[in-house]
Amino acid sequence: MPPERARRSGPRRPAPAIGFSVVFVLAIAIQLFCLPALAAQRIASLNVCLDQLLLDWVDHRRIVSVTWLSANPHYRRAPLPEHVTLNRGHAEELLGLRPDLVLAGQYGANRASTRLRELGVRVVTIPDAYNLAQLQQQLRALGEELGLGRELNHQARRFEQLVRQPPAEQPLTAMILSANNLTYGGGMLEHELLELAGFRNLAAEGGQRLQRVMLEQVIAAEPQLLVLYGGEQAFALAHLAARHPVIRRYVDSGRVFILPPELGFCPALVAADVLEALQKKRESLVRTQ
Amino acid sequence: MFEHNKTAIALLAAALPLALLAALLSGPVSIDFTAALREGWRGDSSDAVILWQLRLPRALLAILVGAALGMGGAAMQGLLRNPLAEPALLGVSSGAALAAILLLYYGLAWHSGWWLPLLSIAGAFIAVLSVWLLAGRGASASRLVLAGVAINAFLSALMALALNYAPSMFAMQEIVFWLLGSLANRGWDQLLLALPFILAGAVLLFGCRQYLRALTLGEASAASLGFSGRRYPLGVLLGIAAAVGAAVAVTGTIGFIGLVVPHLVRPLVRQDPARVLWASALCGALLLLLADILVLNFVGAQELRIGAVTAFIGAPFFFWLIVSARRGGLQ
Repeated sequence: MPPERARRSGPRRPAPAIGFSVVFVLAIAIQLFCLPALAAQRIASLNVCLDQLLLDWVDHRRIVSVTWLSANPHYRRAPLPEHVTLNRGHAEELLGLRPDLVLAGQYGANRASTRLRELGVRVVTIPDAYNLAQLQQQLRALGEELGLGRELNHQARRFEQLVRQPPAEQPLTAMILSANNLTYGGGMLEHELLELAGFRNLAAEGGQRLQRVMLEQVIAAEPQLLVLYGGEQAFALAHLAARHPVIRRYVDSGRVFILPPELGFCPALVAADVLEALQKKRESLVRTQ
Repeated sequence: MFEHNKTAIALLAAALPLALLAALLSGPVSIDFTAALREGWRGDSSDAVILWQLRLPRALLAILVGAALGMGGAAMQGLLRNPLAEPALLGVSSGAALAAILLLYYGLAWHSGWWLPLLSIAGAFIAVLSVWLLAGRGASASRLVLAGVAINAFLSALMALALNYAPSMFAMQEIVFWLLGSLANRGWDQLLLALPFILAGAVLLFGCRQYLRALTLGEASAASLGFSGRRYPLGVLLGIAAAVGAAVAVTGTIGFIGLVVPHLVRPLVRQDPARVLWASALCGALLLLLADILVLNFVGAQELRIGAVTAFIGAPFFFWLIVSARRGGLQ
């Protein structure tokens, strides 16, 4: 880990004040200028979200492999360079590429991660993000591993600014209707984004994080904004509820907000954009009331 | 005895509107029923929308699909003269489900109007005709069943393959939903899509009722009574394919109704295979509606798939059927 390397390179015995200052300045310089150089130059990923973050925020020359899912239009958000190999989460696929850093998600490809660690490859698990605190933790973990690149730094700062904004005085009511009639309650990222944007999530009153809701519960709750998850255009039984004719009256009156599918599988990519868009949606709803 | 049976049928008929009322009152949300009723079809309040746009089409769809499955099961058991026969046995459900999967996941969208039920029914027809061709000319009932099992297994494998390569990332998980069936989130559009085909299937089966009666005397006797040739058995199979295919197209495959219901009502109609068709339709409608009420009141938003509920009812009945057959109680 680069910060640890920086610490290890520091003096072990007490030094005079001036010497300490020099070491401190050196450490800062290393953090600011040398980190990208010290950071891994052959990075592989075993997680579709980390694939996208790498492809979006990191110099492509440093990436050697991403998962095969990143070639799927459903997940691909950034162009896939030709030299990048697609892996299916097998250790032997990555070994041949001699990565100096393998990024893995919290869940999935666990066997490959374990095997690679046993074989001496540096594998770092980046935590998944299901709420704002975890999202910031994820960005920090990525920053430590990859070096705070310009894009990553920009995203982290933008997000912090948005989060610090004061809450709206009179929140509007909202409810999320996702695939398979799922809705997001307190403690989930979607809920937190709604609350930050000035909405009161009606599903939070249920007390559960992720819960199923029947269509008639949505209609009876009469939310001022109905939030749907977008993305999957192909037919799926899971989306029958969102296609039901009773939802049309929300669509017709402009009281629907579509969350981008990236928020579901890789919130770091779009959370800040979603928050801004939700704030704008709230303003437009307030104007029309 | 016959009077008692007539009373039982009348009670079943009277129970249906009561069950419909119970279904309209069932749900996770407590609504002002009379106010919603008074507000009418075009009511804009949430109670009226819940009653007219969500609960009523769902309950009517349960009645329609239950009737199609019950009637299809009775016709299949009459045709094959096998108490364990049901529409799924000859690949009707699998054929319809495969066609629906191919259409929905690879082709046209859900709002493609008549294509969905048409192709589902076409899938059911193709499955039935494949069974018919595989069993060969003048096939015995047992050979038809054997051909049905083979076609069914093949269609199930094709369904798994189709879902495996479907562009939707969630298609594989959805095979479970298809195979267990559900009435959740269905509306008037699905009801109106299925209705004409189920009615057409019922008319076809009605036209073949005398053949089913004659068939109880054996195929040779039926032929001597004027029901020779392929026209009649094919008519029954096409009737089953239309009714059950349309039902599967909108709700997925709901098992056991077609198997259980004809056995329940057969004593009430003095084993008459023609009357058992209508009694099974009535009882199938009631059973599926009651199963849905059970789902709505005791399972709630978690929505145990209705196929699982009917299987819970059907499987013990299946055990009883086997035990009865062992004791010689089943003819």
